[in-house]
Amino acid sequence: MQKRISRGEAVFNVVNYIFLAFCVIITLLPFVTIIAKSFSDTVAIESGKVFLWPVDFNTKAYKNLIADGQLLRSMKNTVIITVVGTVLNMIFTTTAAYALSKKRLLGGKFIMKMMTFTMIFSGGTIPHFIVVKSLGLMNTYGALWLPGLITVYNLIVMKSFFEQLPESLEEAARIDGANDLLIFFKIVLPLSLATIATITLFYAVSWWNEYFNGMIYISSSSKMPLQVKLRQMIATVGQVNLTETDGETMDKKLAKDAVQAAAMVISTIPMLCIYPFLQKYFVKGVMVGAVKG
Amino acid sequence: MRKKHTAKNEPHIKAIGSDSVAKCIRRDIWLYVFLAPAIIYLIVFKYAPMLGMVIGFKDYSIGKGILGSEWVGFDNFIRLFKTPNFFTILRNTIGLNVLNLVFGFPAPIILSILINEVNCKAYKRTVQTILYVPHFVSWVILGGIIIQLTSINGPISVGLSKLFGMAPKSFISDPASWIVIYIISGIWQSVGWGTIIYLAAITNVDSQLYEAARIDGANKFQQIINVTLPCISSTVVTMLILRMGSMLSVGFEQIYMLQNSAVFDVSDVISTYEYRVGLEQRQYSLTTALGFFKGVVGLILVFGTNTIAKKLGEGGLW
Repeated sequence: MQKRISRGEAVFNVVNYIFLAFCVIITLLPFVTIIAKSFSDTVAIESGKVFLWPVDFNTKAYKNLIADGQLLRSMKNTVIITVVGTVLNMIFTTTAAYALSKKRLLGGKFIMKMMTFTMIFSGGTIPHFIVVKSLGLMNTYGALWLPGLITVYNLIVMKSFFEQLPESLEEAARIDGANDLLIFFKIVLPLSLATIATITLFYAVSWWNEYFNGMIYISSSSKMPLQVKLRQMIATVGQVNLTETDGETMDKKLAKDAVQAAAMVISTIPMLCIYPFLQKYFVKGVMVGAVKG
Repeated sequence: MRKKHTAKNEPHIKAIGSDSVAKCIRRDIWLYVFLAPAIIYLIVFKYAPMLGMVIGFKDYSIGKGILGSEWVGFDNFIRLFKTPNFFTILRNTIGLNVLNLVFGFPAPIILSILINEVNCKAYKRTVQTILYVPHFVSWVILGGIIIQLTSINGPISVGLSKLFGMAPKSFISDPASWIVIYIISGIWQSVGWGTIIYLAAITNVDSQLYEAARIDGANKFQQIINVTLPCISSTVVTMLILRMGSMLSVGFEQIYMLQNSAVFDVSDVISTYEYRVGLEQRQYSLTTALGFFKGVVGLILVFGTNTIAKKLGEGGLW
């Protein structure tokens, strides 16, 4: 049924498959080394023996982390930040995107232009900081949630999707006397679940990985988000890593090496667990957003 | 004008029948309710900070507030340009961005073409799934992993010394190696995710074009150069224009996570300077002036690239 594959093409295919396999391995190796380290013994890490496989397998690092409790507390904070933040994002992004997807809306085009402009020009770090501070949001999660309420890119993806829904659905409901509120919740939302799943994932990932705002706005350690806590743990080790150290601090540092690796593994797991299941949705989501105009 | 236009596009509106603005608003009242929070958000958290940029032209102090502080004209800008660090920061920002553009920008394009050539669906999907992974991991963790890999007792240093007898070296604290690490880690994090948009564009290419090229005797490589690339050029240009807007902004987190005192000379950029001098040393006016400078240059670059793209017949963003 298909034309014969020429020899050159066959060679290309083989080389291509091998090259992509190589890319995949290179992408994964760094993660594997961290996992291996997190299960290894301090002495083995010290002598540089640990690479892809744990040496003297043990779970001490994980036990220490759990006993210490600080990482788990910041993880709990980040679960709260992520869940509340994502729910707020979705409420305000979907409703605004739906309104803006209606071409008949007076002023809609103007608002859309205002939104898009913020993608190429922003007030910058300090003015943002002053706004958040003057609203009295310092050291509250409001300082994270409110400035991050809507991501314009996600709104555009959502809006493009709504625009593709057939008008006839809405008209039928309108003849039956439904208003926009009912149409949105009863008809539009149920049809948009795949796109909603995509955008939810985008938002959730960015909350989970949120670092900068957490660092500058959250000062009390009991409220500290996960990434800020992680950075604290990594930075203290990283600093020692760079310089020659005497025996005593070396020992401490290496004990930390395994713990640090374990902390990174624990805090990556939740995101990596959900994402492969949502992959087919989010690829579609990005494509919808990529459609120009 | 606008009303006429709307009515023409959507005939059913006419049936509801309204010509006055008030009626339009009453008809769409729920849509305005939906939009209201977004508008408030836009004003408070996007446009108010833009107005707040006036402190770049003032001698801002928290006590006096934005309105009460004195105007100083371009004093902050002059002070900024006279700072000895300024040109180092500008050089690093532009230098790292140019390197990123040269190596990082083509990477997802090439990779997406290669992925597209894979016929086995399961293989293709596996490759994609794995290449996306780093995009979902924070820079805190990616940075931590890279530091462990490239430090003096990390696997790269140990491996090289075992294989080639090189003296163990801390690559992360050597300026030249640091730049390489920065570029490679950036590609590692974003290349897979970046392919999505190009793969979408490639799948839209008409397969008859490939047939025609094949009949004309074009081999795989010639097909890629003469069919695939021209067909995705508008996507490439769009991405390039958007990319140009951030020529003066290097992502804070990647730099900050990889930075250490030994490589400060090559790694201090505008965003890290804004954080250190602005937020830590509280020189609000000076760093706002810097932010303003960055924003305006970004805007000029976006509009400039857009104009050039249009002149070249590639079609701009607007």
